[in-house]
Amino acid sequence: MNPLFMSLLLIVGLAIFSRTMVQKIQLLMALEPTDRANHITDRLKNMVVIALGQKRLVGRKKEWASGIMHAFIFWGFCILLIRSLNLYGEGFVKGFQLPLFGDGSILGYLYIALKDIMEGIVLVMAVYAIFRRAVLKPERLHNTWEAYFVLGMIGVLMLSDLLLDGARYNLIMLHNNPEHLHFFNNPLYGSEFLWTPVSVGAASLISGFSADANGLILTTMFWLHIITQLTFLNFLPFGKHFHVITALPNVFLKSLGYPHEKTKLLDLEDESVWEDESLGINHIHQLNWKQGLDLYTCTECGRCKEVCPTHTTDKPLNLHDFNDTLKAELLENAGNLIKRAKLAATIKEDGDAEKNEEIKAQMAELNSKKPLIGDVITEDTLWACTTCRACEQVCPVTIEHVPRIIAMRQGQSLMQGVYPQELNVALKGLERNGNPWGIGYDKRVDWADGLDVKIMAKDADVDYLLWVGCAGSFDDRSKKVSKSLVKILQKANISFAILGKEEKCTGDFARRVGNEMMYQMMAQENIETLNNYKVKKIIAACPHCLNTLKHEYPQMGGNYEVIHHTDFIDQLIKSGKITLNKSFQGSLTYHDPCYLGRYNSIYDQPRSILQALSKDGLKELDRHGRESFCCGAGGGRMWMEETIGKRINVERSEEIAGQKAATVAVACPFCLTMIEDGMKELDKDEDIKTQDIAELVANNMA
Amino acid sequence: MKILTTAKKVVDVELTIHVENGAIVEDGLQYVINAWDENAVEASVQLKENNGAETTLVSIGSGDNTDMIRKCYAMGIDNGIHIDDPALEKADSFVFAKVLQKVYEAGEYDLVITGKQAQDTDSGQTGIILAECLGIACVSNVIAIEIIDDGKIKVSRLGDMGTEIVEVVLPAVITVSDSINEPRLPAMRGIMMAKKKKIQVMDLAGLGTSYDEVGGGSLKSEVIEFMESEKRQGGQKFEGDAAEITAKVVDLLVNEAKVF
Repeated sequence: MNPLFMSLLLIVGLAIFSRTMVQKIQLLMALEPTDRANHITDRLKNMVVIALGQKRLVGRKKEWASGIMHAFIFWGFCILLIRSLNLYGEGFVKGFQLPLFGDGSILGYLYIALKDIMEGIVLVMAVYAIFRRAVLKPERLHNTWEAYFVLGMIGVLMLSDLLLDGARYNLIMLHNNPEHLHFFNNPLYGSEFLWTPVSVGAASLISGFSADANGLILTTMFWLHIITQLTFLNFLPFGKHFHVITALPNVFLKSLGYPHEKTKLLDLEDESVWEDESLGINHIHQLNWKQGLDLYTCTECGRCKEVCPTHTTDKPLNLHDFNDTLKAELLENAGNLIKRAKLAATIKEDGDAEKNEEIKAQMAELNSKKPLIGDVITEDTLWACTTCRACEQVCPVTIEHVPRIIAMRQGQSLMQGVYPQELNVALKGLERNGNPWGIGYDKRVDWADGLDVKIMAKDADVDYLLWVGCAGSFDDRSKKVSKSLVKILQKANISFAILGKEEKCTGDFARRVGNEMMYQMMAQENIETLNNYKVKKIIAACPHCLNTLKHEYPQMGGNYEVIHHTDFIDQLIKSGKITLNKSFQGSLTYHDPCYLGRYNSIYDQPRSILQALSKDGLKELDRHGRESFCCGAGGGRMWMEETIGKRINVERSEEIAGQKAATVAVACPFCLTMIEDGMKELDKDEDIKTQDIAELVANNMA
Repeated sequence: MKILTTAKKVVDVELTIHVENGAIVEDGLQYVINAWDENAVEASVQLKENNGAETTLVSIGSGDNTDMIRKCYAMGIDNGIHIDDPALEKADSFVFAKVLQKVYEAGEYDLVITGKQAQDTDSGQTGIILAECLGIACVSNVIAIEIIDDGKIKVSRLGDMGTEIVEVVLPAVITVSDSINEPRLPAMRGIMMAKKKKIQVMDLAGLGTSYDEVGGGSLKSEVIEFMESEKRQGGQKFEGDAAEITAKVVDLLVNEAKVF
């Protein structure tokens, strides 16, 4: 078209874009390290399924329409990348054709057909997106001018390209091709226009214009398309549409093996970390680069807040705002953080101590002046989280919210000593007697009186260790679950023992409230005990214990095969070691515990057990499985007051009551307490029974 | 202002205490700071934070009290003294008070704050005897302390007739109730930083006294035997027809328990 103008546009457009990207990358590099350069095949698989496949967009029934909409716009863009390259080529060389995609191969023809249809679809989807924002106004969406502007640009991109091809069609087919424009016309596959119905449709809109007018349209649309595209590219990094660029790498770099980044095992013995106050996240520069990339990538779609048990019960934690606020803080400090990182690189471990101190002082000067917790994120926001992971499960770009929150709590607990004081009772109980209730550790085994349960200290020659947990040992209601579980294991002739007085809290809740010191104390003592008995296989009666034993103890040298009791019972049923009567009557539903489902992907086993014992089958709750709604007790919330908004357990209990269930099955002692309390609050506890799956199984065994 | 606070290491009362041959079975027991002393530490630290004061903690008892004292450091106490002397094993409240008197005299304190009693013996005497030995004022069962000036404080105490507001001339001994405050958990950063802090450990000779001088030679009271507390009997559970159960329960109450 015009090589000079094309060169100018490309040089300016790409230069500005490169400069922006370098700044953005420099900022990420100034943040803390985290290792993601591993398991490339798994990472690629995630990228294909979650990002390219748009799994979390098209995979949710509730969001089917918007999912499809987004997916087609995304796929359309991917396809149009090739077309863009071709157009850039045409800027320089008339009739430019990309190798492989030229008129000599079927591939070229297939591509133009696909591109043509996709442009039509994307255009329709962009119109629907505008309609959805402006008219349907889904609650989760944050309506901004940016969204409309970007949708507008998408519309312009599609229309301009379609009209460009339309004008070309008119010139070639109606006006004898005065400018000798190139078009596909392979004797084998025919004319290009047989393959591009949408462009031909667009051509009919402007077929009434003269050849000159069509020529003008062609040129105008060409440059409009190129300029819009370069503007779009340069606009992206400055807002939520940065995800167009960062979503793929963000998904590629997501945590593997555990649903999110595991809590870092902090070295608490290192004196310098206490002096430097460098444990947890107290300042924005303590985020790691992947957490920074998460912030770049947030699309502000609001799915996280829509499923969040705290946001939906009017607590101040709004993950959309949480991300937004952190991103603003990160960007506001970008210059200083980059300088800070450069200074940090000049510290030499064996260098002059005085000089190092001087550098550290200069670095401290560059820290954000605002305390992260208090000024940027409020305390109520930070402590509201139940760590249920509902937000992470629905996030289309796999942002990991929970590890960030836990690290910030670490900063508050370890460094500042600021945390909800009602936790003190539970923490003191943990320290003294190894359980948050603070009941004498010598009473841990009282529940098993008369049950003929082996204690490891007396006989460690068993196949399984039954990890009872604090609730199962001390809480009167949960003790009944422990007894039922023992009844099942004995019936199935399983060789097992318990630790008895030697068992201590796994430290789960201490870790979630940021008290890494208490967690490590508990973990260390438990691991010593377990390793001393050479324990290999553990049956855990609590999903929180399961999660900690299975995923967190390996960090400290405790490696065991850990199985939740529902998983184990399911195996017992399937292998015929126990037989269930299909004797349970009445409407039955199941509440998925977060730490069993979303953290450990155990969804099917509990359901399979319930199906096996229930005469009337199992009725699912509206929010179930991967999108189950938290009971409100996770993340240490069990031991904190819930004074803001509606109580989460009541919200969940209302949902259960609304299903007209007569029994709600649970598989976690915290859920048991919370749902039962919720039912009491609704005065429904007589009509709706809350029972652990172990109890239902014990009562319905043949 | 210089404040002296006491802390006793006591058996964890959450545990069931077993007795064999008149002696407590030590096996399986664990020891913690006396809960009321924890309130005393918290009260001292609050006075320090609000009014400025130098706080010193003293703990008497043989064995390792390092952990406990460090935790008090982490709560905000400035100095720690541990009087570690095996001779004190059978000491009673009077002896403890005499030892504390020596500590007090060595340090010129303005105010002594102790827990109103210890969870292990529940005697509630030490602080009061200390005041008597020193010839200074004592207010017990205190639920609030307010500093008026360097020479005077105002305290609230729970008396028989209700809350009493008392003005006290310093120096004085205050023994605190558990309702005075909610003790903070030792700050974790404080625990780590306190590792380097020194604890002054000394025996009676180091304190410039002897077991005899503090009254150990002629103990005024001595525990001669422990007895296990009576176990609560399990209740009876009745199930079935309401009328039948009622009749049965009434019968048992009248004829067996003889409540009527």
